[in-house]
Amino acid sequence: MAIVDRLAGWLETVLEIVTAVLMITLTLIVLYAVITRYTARTPSWYDEVASIMLVWLTYYAGALAALKRGHIGVDGVLRAMPEKLRMLVAYIGEVFFIGFFLVLGWAGLVVLEVMQGMTLITLRWVPVMFTQSVIPIGAGLFILAQLLSMPAYLAKVRAGVSRDEEEIQHAIAEAEKDNAQAGLSADSLTGKHRS
Amino acid sequence: MIIFLMLVALLVMILINVPIAVSLALVAVGAIVMTQGVEMLPNVALTMFDGASSFPLLAIPMFVLAGAIMNTGGISRRLIAFASALFGFIRGGLAMINIGVSMFFAEISGSAVADVAATGSVLIPAMRKRGYPRDFAAAVTSSSASLAIIIPPSIPMILYGVMAGASIVQLFVAGIIPGIIGGVGMMFLSYYYARKYNWPVEEVFQINRVWRTFKEAFWALTLPIIILGSIFGGFVTATEGAGMAVAAAVFISTVIYRELNLKALYRAVIDGGQQTAVVMLLVAASALVGVFLTEMRLPQQLAQAVLDLTDNRYAILMLLNVFFLVIGLFLHSAAAIILVVPIVMPLVNAAGIDPVHFGLVVCLNLAIGQQTPPVASVLITACSIAKADVWSVTRSNLGFIGVLLGVLLLITYVPVIPMSLVEYFYR
Repeated sequence: MAIVDRLAGWLETVLEIVTAVLMITLTLIVLYAVITRYTARTPSWYDEVASIMLVWLTYYAGALAALKRGHIGVDGVLRAMPEKLRMLVAYIGEVFFIGFFLVLGWAGLVVLEVMQGMTLITLRWVPVMFTQSVIPIGAGLFILAQLLSMPAYLAKVRAGVSRDEEEIQHAIAEAEKDNAQAGLSADSLTGKHRS
Repeated sequence: MIIFLMLVALLVMILINVPIAVSLALVAVGAIVMTQGVEMLPNVALTMFDGASSFPLLAIPMFVLAGAIMNTGGISRRLIAFASALFGFIRGGLAMINIGVSMFFAEISGSAVADVAATGSVLIPAMRKRGYPRDFAAAVTSSSASLAIIIPPSIPMILYGVMAGASIVQLFVAGIIPGIIGGVGMMFLSYYYARKYNWPVEEVFQINRVWRTFKEAFWALTLPIIILGSIFGGFVTATEGAGMAVAAAVFISTVIYRELNLKALYRAVIDGGQQTAVVMLLVAASALVGVFLTEMRLPQQLAQAVLDLTDNRYAILMLLNVFFLVIGLFLHSAAAIILVVPIVMPLVNAAGIDPVHFGLVVCLNLAIGQQTPPVASVLITACSIAKADVWSVTRSNLGFIGVLLGVLLLITYVPVIPMSLVEYFYR
């Protein structure tokens, strides 16, 4: 288990860095386009490059979300099942998830071969193979993320923990931390009164 | 037959907790194999790429990021302080502050749960401390946060705009008047309860306190005005406005308030990216299903079937209202929009309903859905902060749900209320 945890930690760090780089670059590109619109001309590659970066964000940050089991789902019925059936169904669910990304990864590789030699329309020096690589690589990362987070997930299913409940507790804890840091509390709003 | 099988398979997979995006994509893969053969499968990769490469949807990560920075960078705190100086003298003032702040913040960061947690974790304890019942505190927080779904900027509106091919800017503008009506309605309701149960007044009205907090909050207040103003004025697109919002939020939190630390910024960036990806994967998967549905002409057939029953626009709107209310009971708003909007749009267009008008109707329906168990993450978050039981909060919440329903009926059957500003400025 220790190895799985350590690998999951590494994958998380890597995916976080990629996500941060993509988000920051995207923001800068959008701002650059706003500025150049009023000073010069919006670069011709703006739409194409920004849209492609959004696709990259979808798969790299999406794998990060998979690692944290953050994709939107409905777990109420699963939790209502008796334990044996629940575990069986949870395994089947994992197989479905990984099965889809196997298909997607394979399809992505086939497409890459077809796309050999093509380039972006606005940036001739960028091969489509490079931009499209996100599909097979992303699919691989999704599978890896799902596998690495599986032991923890299955343990939670066995214990009957609700994902929504967990997400809510996490969000509240984060918000309370932020508020404490910003010096905002119930007392700072109602301070003058004795309770 | 295939459609029926697809539907059953989709339902089964969703119910056994396969993520909705993956369930959708798998169903589409199955349908492609059954109707077109395995050799067409590589198209899955193309569609999953193109489906996510949508230029207007770039607004989502930008707004999400701006919202996250505002929550962590001391901006929300100053707004709450200003609102409290402004409304604190009214009976039930804290409830009104809560409504005002939620309207401003909620639905900005793409995660309704995170937004409610951000404002609720301060305001609910404050209300408890001043003697408001915990059920009421949770109810007012939760309902006003859901109302914010129709107040710009709103991620569900951006999603709807892209799925329905409606102008995001016009959707934003259409939400202004109904949003204000709903907010004022909730404030009146709080005032009524406050008088009835004799809830406290926070403090006497002091002009210098208002001035002091206003000066503190000045930049936080002008930021959305400038950004929404330039979007509405057509100077920038919604995406570019959102990009400006990020830059402004960073500037205000670091240079003016000096409260944003790098660690918090990094977390905001990661969380923003992740929330965006979760929505975008759904969008991509729905593109995969969409290709297939279009070939089967299912949305058109549905439109024809309903139109054979009635071509009365208001009857159809009534039908769609009931439909979306039911969907909202079981699905998160983003998932509901991505799943259902493409299927009903041909019907909406054929019935002559303005897609901008309909967008408001859809979003408000889903807002009500967030208030009603079983799937009601906003409500449950508020209850969890207040440590209150979901069902007893729901009893206190009935009045506020009533306000939301009232606004829904108003905008559905009196289209001039949402549409007058749109007509005036853009048509």
